[in-house]
Amino acid sequence: MESNTSNNNSKKPTTADAPVFGVNEMRLSWRQIAITTIIVIGVMAVTPSAWKHAERFETGPNYRIPYAISADYWLYQRRADSLSQLVIPVVGDSVVWGEYVRKEGTLSHFLSQESGRQFANCGVNGVFPLALEGLVGQYGQAFSNRKVILQCNILWLSSPKADLSIDSEETFNHTELVTQRFGAIPCYRADAATRMGAFMNTHIGFYGFVNHINTVYYGQQSLPRWTLQESDTDPPTRPNAWRNPLSPLTFQVPGEPIDDPARGQNSRRHHAWNSRGQAPSHFEWVPLEKSLQWGATKRLIALLKSRGADVLVILGPFNEHMIADDQMLEYRSIKGNAASWFRSQNVALVMPDALPTELYADASHPLTDGYQLLAREIAADAVFKDWLKR
Amino acid sequence: MLFHTLPFFVFMLIVLPGYYLLRKTAFWIPWLLAASYVFYGWWNPYYLLLIVYSTALDYLLVALMDHCPPPSEASAASKRDRTLNIALVTALAIGAALLGGAVLGPITLRPTLIVFACLDLMMALGAFFASRRIWLAISLVNNLTLLLFFKYARFVIENVNAVLGSRGIHLPDPSTLMPYGATYVLPVGISFFTFQSMSYTIDFYLGKATRERNILRFATFVCFFPQLMAGPIERARQMLPQFQKAPPFNPRNLSDGISLFLVGLFKKLALANYLSLYVDRIYDNPGKYDSPALIAATFAFAWQIFFDFSGYTDMARGVAKMMGFELMLNFNNPYLATGLGEFWSRWHISLSSWFRDYVYIPLGGNRKGNFATYRNLFITFLVSGIWHGASWNFAIWGILHAVGVMLTRELERSPFYRDRVPKLAKQAAVFAYVCFAWIFFRAATVADAFTVIRRIGMAARTSPQIPGLMLAMVCAIWGYQWLYESKVRNVLANRYMRIAIATAMILYLCFCSSGGGAFIYFQF
Repeated sequence: MESNTSNNNSKKPTTADAPVFGVNEMRLSWRQIAITTIIVIGVMAVTPSAWKHAERFETGPNYRIPYAISADYWLYQRRADSLSQLVIPVVGDSVVWGEYVRKEGTLSHFLSQESGRQFANCGVNGVFPLALEGLVGQYGQAFSNRKVILQCNILWLSSPKADLSIDSEETFNHTELVTQRFGAIPCYRADAATRMGAFMNTHIGFYGFVNHINTVYYGQQSLPRWTLQESDTDPPTRPNAWRNPLSPLTFQVPGEPIDDPARGQNSRRHHAWNSRGQAPSHFEWVPLEKSLQWGATKRLIALLKSRGADVLVILGPFNEHMIADDQMLEYRSIKGNAASWFRSQNVALVMPDALPTELYADASHPLTDGYQLLAREIAADAVFKDWLKR
Repeated sequence: MLFHTLPFFVFMLIVLPGYYLLRKTAFWIPWLLAASYVFYGWWNPYYLLLIVYSTALDYLLVALMDHCPPPSEASAASKRDRTLNIALVTALAIGAALLGGAVLGPITLRPTLIVFACLDLMMALGAFFASRRIWLAISLVNNLTLLLFFKYARFVIENVNAVLGSRGIHLPDPSTLMPYGATYVLPVGISFFTFQSMSYTIDFYLGKATRERNILRFATFVCFFPQLMAGPIERARQMLPQFQKAPPFNPRNLSDGISLFLVGLFKKLALANYLSLYVDRIYDNPGKYDSPALIAATFAFAWQIFFDFSGYTDMARGVAKMMGFELMLNFNNPYLATGLGEFWSRWHISLSSWFRDYVYIPLGGNRKGNFATYRNLFITFLVSGIWHGASWNFAIWGILHAVGVMLTRELERSPFYRDRVPKLAKQAAVFAYVCFAWIFFRAATVADAFTVIRRIGMAARTSPQIPGLMLAMVCAIWGYQWLYESKVRNVLANRYMRIAIATAMILYLCFCSSGGGAFIYFQF
């Protein structure tokens, strides 16, 4: 401070012909800015497609996006794009994905088995209609001009909270996929910066690719955060601090763990919902006309139809055994109104009967045998058969 | 609104073309002012009341000062003009209304109205005595009161209560003084815009600046959005002339602005935010970490705060430059300083020169002997420390720098230090001392700072676990700065080198950005 009075221009290197610009040489001319921009845009344009060629992505008939990388929408798009026209994608939430079952125990697997056609599991864990609308809208162009099965889960109408129509702030998954318009989802209170970031991530393919890299190779975090990741030990250590930051890039998308302890018939979660003494519940059903999730479902149908998709909707299988008796009427009314709307839109609709109570793991997810029975029912349905033939 | 967020990019996409379109009309100043208020109000619209009030009052005070004779001229009474008489009557009328309101109005408004009544009484005195000094005093009292109330009141009251609480004295929390129970929060950037506004009244009083008659132009000077939140703190005599006429469009300004902005963005997103991930973890719980980790975190914080603040300044200067305005250089590779005095001519230059001009020199500077010089240095650094925040940590930080500068002042001037001590050793010593002082700046409490120092002193053979990537990046920047000040700096000026570095920075930001986060200096 004092030295300023006598030594104001102490060590600053300045050029005689220009005022002080800054303390670095990063003074780019327009030509240099243009060259830099071209290089950056080139890298951003080329890298994702080059990456697709270099990265091994083994799917197989029962492939589903692994739970740990559910938010890798770029990979979802890649998976959808890779489907042959002969394969029918089954789109939906964790009911389609198979929350409690192995990939050989899902609806798409058993539908393939029962119908003789090949179905692909295009479900995403935790995706609800408002997010599914964004997922299909931004990443599901592959679902154009082909047969598509859409599973409609009434669970999302079972309470204002599930419907995301409550006024108090809620945190939920897949926020990048929902509409970022202020006020559209009252419980979504992200600031403008977050909303714009989400919009950019879903609308600019390169950011989806970066998210893929971060999700698949760096444990769903950025590279800098990965270098600081702490172990679970006490005291914690940072195993990645001195690892080569590029070493995780194995160019191999990991599949599901072979022995996922959380799923499959040997898992501790794979039990009937009432085996632990759970009783029927009271739901705060949201009327269709007020439901945000139902609105999204309707827009999704319109979107798929506008893309030339031949859509079949599977309405259910909700665990009706879990609904308290005095609420059945309300539930059936909602389901009936939903079915009427689908029919009014000339959408093929299959409404399988409720499965036996012991084949449900919770309010909406069947167990492995439940999926098999469900697929059998659907495959035997006349509407389904007609739809498959046309 | 933060420079490194998408809303700011959208904001600029609207403001910049609008500014260029209106540049040749009378609306360019209102446009810049409106943009600045939107920028500031984005944070909290209620803050706008404060900045508008502060601006209007300082504008008025200088206008009234202009109606008073300079001290060198004849007695005030003979020079009274009509404006001062009107001001006197108006001040008395408003004062009566304020006192009436304080007595009869809502209780929650009483403290505010009493303060305004006192201020109004001072204005009446200023008008009565036609005294420039009183108008200046009002400006200083007003700005410093705002700063003291919003920034320091709680700290002072907590300390007073801690000392006098045992004697039954318990002062109420300052939030109880807020009108209508409004939230008591520190308005962002208050330390910066009050200092900038004060510089105008002081400079006018000293005859170093001319009166700005256009209130919109003056308001734009006070709240010019690129430097509103965290500086650089500009002087009226440097900045106001730039607002007289819209700078001519020059493509070079735009490319320079983009270059500066890019560098700042990289410093903030790639470096400062990355370092903060490491530093915060350790400084949030220093008792859990050993000496190597605490030393590494302290060094890392030194770089974090440099990248954070100089990154902000680069972006501010870049945005201003895009519109053709020049903001002062605020950082000049401070960690390459070879003395503490030199460090302060390289670190937060706009603030250190503000304190030099408005505190150190008015106190007498170095003109009144050694004792006075050291006393003035001590006071200036202490005030500078306290300016940074209402906490003993900042006071100690300021004192440490004061003591450091005082102890090394003569040494740095000696031929031995200048010529015989290797430059690198001097730089290392200064950096080490600055880092030591940063411990108090960063630690949450004084106790935490002493915990850090104590644990640093306890030898331990544990790994600091600082990531290699982080070290490599900091070393690369240090190397860049060193090259820039060396004889081979031309290597960096090579156009291919510039393109390579710019491309690398953008791609790093695209692939590896460490995410958002507010600027450290916003809290000041």
